[in-house]
Amino acid sequence: MDIFPELNGVRQHLRVTPGERLSSALRNHGLTGVKEGCLEGECGACTVLLDGEPVCSCLMLAAQADGKEVTTVEGLAKGTGLSDLQNAFVMEGAVQCGYCTPGMLMAAEGLLSVNPAPTEAEIRLAIAGNICRCTGYANIVRAIARTARERAAIVADATGGTAA
Amino acid sequence: MTAVGIRHPMLDGAEKATGALRYAGDLEIEGLAHAALQTSPHPHARVAAVNAEAALAAPGVLGVFWHGNMPANRYNSSIWFEGQEADEDETTFPPVVRHVGDRVAAVVATTREAAVAALALLDIRYEPLPACLAPEAADRDRGPLFEEDGTPTFRNPVAEQHFDRGDPDAGFAAATHVVETAIRTPKTHHCAIENHVALALPEPDGRICVLAPCQSVHAVQVVVARALGLKARDIHVVKTPIGGSFGGKAEPVLEPLVAEFARRLNRPVRLELDRHQTFTSTRMRSSTSTRIRTGFDASGRILARETETLIDIGAYVTGGNYLPGSMLQRHVRLYDIPAERYCGRAVYTNTPPTGAFRGYGSPQINAAGEIHLDIAARRAGFDPVTLRIRNAISPHAIEPYTGLDVGNARLRECIAEGARRFSWDMRRATSGGAGRFRTGTGMAAAAHINGCFPGSEEATTMTMALCADGRVEMVSALHDLGCGSNTTLAQIAAEVLSLRPTDIRIVDADTDRCGYDLGTRASRMTYIAGEATRRTAVLLVERIIQAAALLRNCAPDELRLGQAGVEDLRSGEVSRMAALAADLLGAGLDLPSATETYAAGANPSSHAAHFAAVEVDTLTGLVRVKDYLAVHDIGRAVNPMLVEGQIYGGVQIGIGYALFEDVANDMVTGRMAGDSFARYILANSLEMPMIEVHLIEAGEPTGPFGAKAVGEIATIPVAAAVVNAVNDALGSELTHLPLTPERVLAEMDPGNQ
Repeated sequence: MDIFPELNGVRQHLRVTPGERLSSALRNHGLTGVKEGCLEGECGACTVLLDGEPVCSCLMLAAQADGKEVTTVEGLAKGTGLSDLQNAFVMEGAVQCGYCTPGMLMAAEGLLSVNPAPTEAEIRLAIAGNICRCTGYANIVRAIARTARERAAIVADATGGTAA
Repeated sequence: MTAVGIRHPMLDGAEKATGALRYAGDLEIEGLAHAALQTSPHPHARVAAVNAEAALAAPGVLGVFWHGNMPANRYNSSIWFEGQEADEDETTFPPVVRHVGDRVAAVVATTREAAVAALALLDIRYEPLPACLAPEAADRDRGPLFEEDGTPTFRNPVAEQHFDRGDPDAGFAAATHVVETAIRTPKTHHCAIENHVALALPEPDGRICVLAPCQSVHAVQVVVARALGLKARDIHVVKTPIGGSFGGKAEPVLEPLVAEFARRLNRPVRLELDRHQTFTSTRMRSSTSTRIRTGFDASGRILARETETLIDIGAYVTGGNYLPGSMLQRHVRLYDIPAERYCGRAVYTNTPPTGAFRGYGSPQINAAGEIHLDIAARRAGFDPVTLRIRNAISPHAIEPYTGLDVGNARLRECIAEGARRFSWDMRRATSGGAGRFRTGTGMAAAAHINGCFPGSEEATTMTMALCADGRVEMVSALHDLGCGSNTTLAQIAAEVLSLRPTDIRIVDADTDRCGYDLGTRASRMTYIAGEATRRTAVLLVERIIQAAALLRNCAPDELRLGQAGVEDLRSGEVSRMAALAADLLGAGLDLPSATETYAAGANPSSHAAHFAAVEVDTLTGLVRVKDYLAVHDIGRAVNPMLVEGQIYGGVQIGIGYALFEDVANDMVTGRMAGDSFARYILANSLEMPMIEVHLIEAGEPTGPFGAKAVGEIATIPVAAAVVNAVNDALGSELTHLPLTPERVLAEMDPGNQ
């Protein structure tokens, strides 16, 4: 069947089978930053944003993404280089083996889009569905908090220091 | 220091953060076929027949493989060089399967979906055999476990290690306090987020190329060759990026299969396990059952210790025969004990095979020893910190088992500094409580090794060369498992060469490019490969100066290598590396290169003391780790950020070991209860406390810039520290890991079961 999601900002035509998982369709489309670690929604490595909300793409049918906006890790950075969140992950040592990183980034981006100033507990809750076996989460939490601070500082600059 | 000691971000961090890095499962190769594995539902059975007719007729199916059409050569997947002696009890597809999850057959098809679908069409006839699932039962009879199996080595015990030192009986007789406890540790799985995967493709010269996330390309090469009856030179192995290993990808499990599939079908084949099969059909950490008896004098000095441990290594020997010895080696590196008696026994059972997992026996024996010591301290009335400091091994002590100097071992500082920073006395004074939530504080100390000396040929060969663009290329059998070892080594090279770490180009392990090496294992990267890096870089500096001197027609001592490049001390003129390389090439001179083989002559201890504060919910039995401090004797941190990262991750695996993780083989069916992330519980972001790390950098004279290992020891004391804190909170003697809510509640209310 044919579906027409907006993948990382560009309307795309994907040919998928009716029973195909979204994670598999995205990977077959070359977006291999989407990882499949368990195929039962437990590890979160396949997390993408669907209309801005973090979802486990292994638990969705590709057909459910028809007409929706799908953002994967490949769509995080505008242009070349890294997004602020990606850069914070690298600089804070939040990336080790890297396999959970794409999903973790998407869960974090999903959090920051609705909660620009999360507490540590809110950050931990937002990534509770993403398993990282390397980092003990410490530097991941730091990287997300750092990004929130950096974004707040940019907003504060732009508004003459009055933003919260 | 401009590169060593710097919190340098991981060199491949950006590729990982953008999702651009291609792991083995992401590689697209023209004509790639996909394999799917059928595993055994029985713990022990003869695979009498596999009728593949229907599967072979299914769309897209290219081949079906089972013991009837696969090589029957016996091999041992834990060997790391050709000709290594080892009990060989594995075959690609065994005619008699020995555990639930053992390899029965595989379908190769044009798509993964077609391969998986065709598995259901296989008609497999099993003849079930009696199974031995409990290690205690396996230990009862010596000799063949089952006649039916037919493998001559399938007999118990697999290995037995005895060690006697001094006169333990006299020590116990003289002791004021004698305490005995029994401790059980579970089988646990690595749970790397990347499932096990391997890929093979025929090469134009007739060889088979294996691409896999592995810890030693040379080990893969010899195991595949042995399994398939080929020569190692027929196999070319390239390491792919690893999505986590922790020892789990140290042994080639899938590589022999895909290599044979690719050879037979003459096309590239990938086999990627799903999560369930990654649990049931790879490797895990052995379980142990340990009894320890210790005698103390009135002041708390240990006079004698007796340890007996039974290790369940599962259904194949792999490297399980080394476990009793390696556990002993770490057991006697922690405290100075004048009289010791040890017996370690490894036994087969019809459960999934075990292998390396972050510490190779250390987490098991440390949990046993350190939980025991805490219980002893409470029974005899000693403070756990004071007791440990009193008996701690001293710098440059001679470890009694191997007779090696433990180096600049700073165990005492770890314990004392940790107790001070964690406000030990104050916290312990407020332990317990009467309400629903009880608080407790515990600690544990640990000792671990640095590399394999003197057990193996512990050497690393490295080549460094100045490239035409002014960067330096580093070639060795390097397998960064995701911990950042490449970054660490680049920092060491950069320090010596006065370059930036990003100027070092590291070539990952490839049997066509690098010399023989043990690979990434046994906490040997920073200490062994790091020293090889330092020495090779020193030689390369010499060669660069010589080449520049030739070019400038001056004496080498009139030149100096600095941050800006090669400086001419006569004129002050500086030429950058890239300019120097261009000048050399222009003059028709070779670009300088250097090759060094560094063979270790020591195996110092790395030490740690970990401190945990917990809260126990007496209503639910749930334990929360609230506060955590890890103090490590690291020698010197080449990259403190990566060192901390290792410790944070080690604590996470250790908290799981203490509280949650257990594959829990069913004692009737042999199936795992914990065979998926839904049923195998890990410490996730919500279960993890913020962790404070303190590093003691006293320098190890034999390590590169004083550095020692951290990767494995980071997880070793964790379980005991957490369990000891729970026992402090409840006044209990919990010794059966993990401390599940059921076990915690049963301990508090033994009548209510």
